[in-house]
Amino acid sequence: MDVLFGAFAGLGAGAVFAILGVGLVVAYRGSGVINFAHGAVAAYTAFTWDELRNTTHGAYVKDDGGSIFLPWFDPIPEWGFLKALHINNLPVEIYIMNDPPVWLAALLSLAMAAFIGFLMHIMVFRPLRNAPLLAKVIGSVGVMLYLQSVANLNFGGANRADNGFWEFTSTNEPIRNFLGMDRNLAGSTLYLAVAALIIGTATWALYRFTRFGLATRAADENEKGATLLGYSPQLLAGLNWVISSVLAGAIGILFIHRAGPPTFILFVVPALAAALVGSLTSIMGALAGGFGIGMIASMGVNATSYDWWPEWLPSDGVRTFAPVLVMILVLYFRGDRLPIRGTVGVGRQPRAPFAKHPLVGLGIGIGIVVLMSNIFTANWESTLTTTLLSIMFMLSLTVLVGFLGQISLVQWSLAGFACWTLIRLSADGTKIRAMDFLAIDGPGWPDPLAALAAIIAAVILGVLISIPALRIRGVQLAVVTLAAVVAIEDLLLRNEPLMGAGAATTNPTPDPNWFGVEVGALDEKTFRTDYWKYTIFALIFVAIGGLIVANLRRGILGRRFLAIRSNERAAAAAGVDVARTKMIGFGVSSLLAGMAGILVAYKVPVITSEYFNPFVGLGFLAFVYLGGITTVWGAIFGGLLAAGGIISEFGSLHFEGITQAYINAVGAIGLVINAIVTNGEGVALMLTNRSKEMTGVMRGTSSSPNEVSGSIDANTQEVS
Amino acid sequence: MSVLLETKDLTVTFGGLNANNHVDLKVDSGSFVGLIGPNGAGKTTFIDAITGFVPTSAGSATFGGQDLSELKPHQRAQLGLVRTFQSLELFEDLSVRDNLLVAAYPTRWYTLLQDIFYVKQKKNDVEEKVDWALEVAGIAHQADILPTDLPHGQRKLVGVARALAAQPNLVLLDEPAAGLDTAESNSLGTHLRDLLKHDITVFLIDHDMGLVLSVCDYIYVMDFGKIIAEGTPSEIRTNPEVISAYLGEEAGEIQARSAEELRDMTIEGNE
Ligand SMILES: Nc1ncnc2c1ncn2[C@@H]1O[C@H](COP(=O)(O)OP(=O)(O)O)[C@@H](O)[C@H]1O
Ligand SMILES: [Mg+2]
Repeated sequence: MDVLFGAFAGLGAGAVFAILGVGLVVAYRGSGVINFAHGAVAAYTAFTWDELRNTTHGAYVKDDGGSIFLPWFDPIPEWGFLKALHINNLPVEIYIMNDPPVWLAALLSLAMAAFIGFLMHIMVFRPLRNAPLLAKVIGSVGVMLYLQSVANLNFGGANRADNGFWEFTSTNEPIRNFLGMDRNLAGSTLYLAVAALIIGTATWALYRFTRFGLATRAADENEKGATLLGYSPQLLAGLNWVISSVLAGAIGILFIHRAGPPTFILFVVPALAAALVGSLTSIMGALAGGFGIGMIASMGVNATSYDWWPEWLPSDGVRTFAPVLVMILVLYFRGDRLPIRGTVGVGRQPRAPFAKHPLVGLGIGIGIVVLMSNIFTANWESTLTTTLLSIMFMLSLTVLVGFLGQISLVQWSLAGFACWTLIRLSADGTKIRAMDFLAIDGPGWPDPLAALAAIIAAVILGVLISIPALRIRGVQLAVVTLAAVVAIEDLLLRNEPLMGAGAATTNPTPDPNWFGVEVGALDEKTFRTDYWKYTIFALIFVAIGGLIVANLRRGILGRRFLAIRSNERAAAAAGVDVARTKMIGFGVSSLLAGMAGILVAYKVPVITSEYFNPFVGLGFLAFVYLGGITTVWGAIFGGLLAAGGIISEFGSLHFEGITQAYINAVGAIGLVINAIVTNGEGVALMLTNRSKEMTGVMRGTSSSPNEVSGSIDANTQEVS
Repeated sequence: MSVLLETKDLTVTFGGLNANNHVDLKVDSGSFVGLIGPNGAGKTTFIDAITGFVPTSAGSATFGGQDLSELKPHQRAQLGLVRTFQSLELFEDLSVRDNLLVAAYPTRWYTLLQDIFYVKQKKNDVEEKVDWALEVAGIAHQADILPTDLPHGQRKLVGVARALAAQPNLVLLDEPAAGLDTAESNSLGTHLRDLLKHDITVFLIDHDMGLVLSVCDYIYVMDFGKIIAEGTPSEIRTNPEVISAYLGEEAGEIQARSAEELRDMTIEGNE
C-alpha cells in the first residue's frame, strides 16, 4: 500500500521532471545541445519570482523585494576610491514595485527565463555551433556553473519558501486519507500533474501542428529545409532556446512551494533521464519518462519504510538513484560497444603535447613551492595547499577528459568517497580532537594503510563506474556521470550506517601520522591549518601525480588514450582493447582523484559532504579546462586560478568581497570563452605557443604564428 | 600453401537487405587476393564482418584455422588480421608516426607500470617495424606531421602504413588506391606486391579494375552481396558474367588490356 501511495505522491515531482525533460528535448531539437544548465534556468526564474513577491508567508523573511536581478553580476566591485566616486557600474538590480500582483510577477519571471534563453543562444551555443563535442558540453556545464554562481551572488543562494502560484505550501491542506490509503497526499500534487500534462501536450501540439514546429523539425534534418519554409536556422534555434527556457521557468514558479530554488539546479538530472527516455527527441516520451521517474523514485522512497528494507540504503539515495538507473538502462541497451560506421566524428580535439623533461619542471615546481611555504604564513600557507590540492585533483581530469576524451563529471565524488572511506577506516571510536562533536566507529587502521585502502576504494568505484561508460560516450557520458554525482553523495557519502556517524553531518578527519611524522595541516599549537609538514606532504603527492600523468602521456598507454579519444573504431582496428584501455584510464584518473581526497581529509579538521557537492567538482573542471585540459601545466594553471587558489586569492585581496561565487562565475565565463576561442587548449598551451613564437623571432629562425599553432607536430612540442 | 582466411556461407543482413549473401571465400597464405565489385556490392561490409565490426547473421569465418566468431575486433587484429578503412579513420590529432606506433606496440599486462615509471624504451624492434612500414608506404619523410596536413592520397597511405605497422599476417586493404592518380596507384601496387616477401598476405579491395587485375593472383567478384565469379586475372578478364555485370563488354576489353600492360610493367619493376 505504501508503495502504491508512493506512485501517486511521486506525481508532483514527476510533473517537474516531465516539463524540464520536455524543455531539454525542445532545446536539443532546436540546436543539438544537451543543456546542463536547464535546471539552473528554472532555479534562477524561481528566485526571481520569489524576490519579486517578497513573500513573508514562508520561513524566509526578506527585508525588501519587488526587484528583478538581471542574470549577471557587477564586474567592477565597489572598492577603494571607486566607491567614493559612486561610479555606476553594470546595472544588476531593477526595482519594479512593492508587492506586484501575481500576474505581473509571473510575467516578469517568465520574461527573465526567456531572456536567459536568448542570452544562452547568442553568447554561448551559437558561437559553439560548429565546435567539437567536448567544447559544447563544457559550454553548457559552464552556463550551469555560471547561473548557479550568479544566483548565489544576486539572491544569496539560500533556500526560500514561497507559497507559490496557488498559495499552496507543501503542508497546506493535504488531501487526507487519499483514496482510502490512510496517507495524506500533498494538496498541490494533482494540480501539478494536470498542469504538467497540459503544458507538455501544448508544447507537443506546437511542434506537431504549427508552421514553426514544422520548420524546426525540418531544420533538424537539414538546415535548407527550414530556410525553404522562410525561417533562418539560427532564428529558429534562438526561438527554441527561448521556449525551452520559458518551460523551465514556468515549472520553477509552479514548484517553488515544494522545493527551494537551489535544489532545482540538480533537477536537471532526473529531467535528463526523462529526456533520454524520449530519445532526446520525443516530447511525449520525455513527458512520460518524467512522470515515470518521479513515480518510481517515490515508490522506492516509500518502500524504505518497510521493516525488511536494509538500513544501509537510505531513502535519499534511493530517490536520486532512480534516474541514474533509468539512464544507465536506456543508454546501455541502446549503446554500441563501438560506434557504428558513419557515426559523426568527435571533431577536432585539443592538442596534447607531452613534456620532454618533466623532471626539470618538477624540480622547478618543488623549488617554488618550498620557497613559498617558507615565506607564507597562516592564510597564505593554506592557500598554497588549496592550490596543491586543486592541482592534484585536476590531474585526474587531465587523464580522463584530456587524454582519454571521456567527459566524466563524477571524479570529484570519487575524491569524496576516498576521503569518507579514509575517515571511516582510520576511526577507532574515540574522539580525535577535543573540539569534535562526534566519535566515529571504525577499525582504526594506521594512517598509510587507511589512506592506501581509501585510494584503492576510489579506484575500484571509478572502474565500476567505467563499465557503463564502455558503451555510453560523449555527452551522454557526461549526463550519466552527473547523475552519478548526486547518487554517490546520497547513497555513499551521506550514508551513516555505512560511513559512520558523521557522514551526513560533520565528519571529523583523522590526525595523520605517517611513519612517525605528523602530516596533517592542523597545527596543534595554533589551531590553524597551516602546518608546514602538510605542505610538503601535499607537494609530494602532487609531484607523484604530475609525474604519473607526464609519463603516461609519453608512454604507450598515453598514445592509446589519445587514439581512443580520436577514433574508437580505428583504435580497435589497430589492436587496441578499447574497453580495457578505457577502464585503465578511469582507474588511473580515480587514483589521482582518490589522492586528492586524502589531501582534503588531511587538510581540514572537520568536513561535510557539501565539500564534495557537484558544483565544486564542476568548478574544478571549469578551471582545469581554462588552464588547459591536455597538459600537466594546464592542471597547474587551473589550480592557481581556481577558487581558493593562489591567483584568485591574490585577486580577492585587492577586490573586497570577492567570494567563491564570484570566482566561479568568472571561471565559468572564462570556460565558455576558452571553449569558443582555443578549443580547450587553454592558457598553458597558449603561453607555450607564444613563448615559442618569441624565441623563434629572437633566434630569427621562425615562423609565422600560423605555423606555430597549426602544423608543428603535436608531439614534438615541448612543454616543460 | 595453407589456407589463411576462409569464410563459409558468410551472411550479413542490414534490416532485410543481405549486404553479404552466403559468401564463400578463401585466402591462401602468401597469396595476393583481390575482391572487386561495383559500389554498394558489399565489399566493405565483408571486411567489416570478418574483422568484427558488424555482426554476421549466418556463416562462419576462420583465420589460421581459428574460428573468429567469438573474437572482438581488437582480438582479431592481435591475431594478425588487420584492416584499413575506406573512410580513412586516422587518429587526426596524432602525428603520422604515432598513428603507426599505436598499432605497433603489443599489449602487455605491465604496460601501465612501464609507462608510469617511464621505463626507457631504447630503439627497439617495434620502432624498426614502424620505420619499415613508413618506408613501404613511401611516407617516411612525413612521419612527424599531423595527418590533417597531408594531401588525400598520402592520408590513404598513412592508413595502409598503420595496418602494416601491426605486422599482420593478412592485411585487408579497403580501396587504398581510391583518390590516387595513376602513377601513385601503380607505385602502390608495386609496393604491395613486395609485402609478399615479408610474409604478409594481402587482400585487396578496389574498384580500379586495372590495379586489381595487375597485382592479384586470384580474384573474387562480388555483386549484390554475392560472389558471382572467381579465378585468376586472365579468367576474370574473360568471364562473360563479370563483364556483363561489372564492366560492360567493351569497357572491359579496354581495361583488361591496359591492365595486362600494367602487370607486365609491375613485374618487370619487381625484378
Ligand atoms: N551499417 C549499415 N547499416 C545499413 N546498411 C548498410 C550499413 N553498411 C552498409 N550498408 C549497406 O550495405 C550495402 C553494401 O555496402 P558496402 O559494403 O559499403 O559496399 P561497397 O564497399 O562494396 O561499396 C549498401 O547497400 C549499404 O548501403
Ligand atoms: Mg566500400
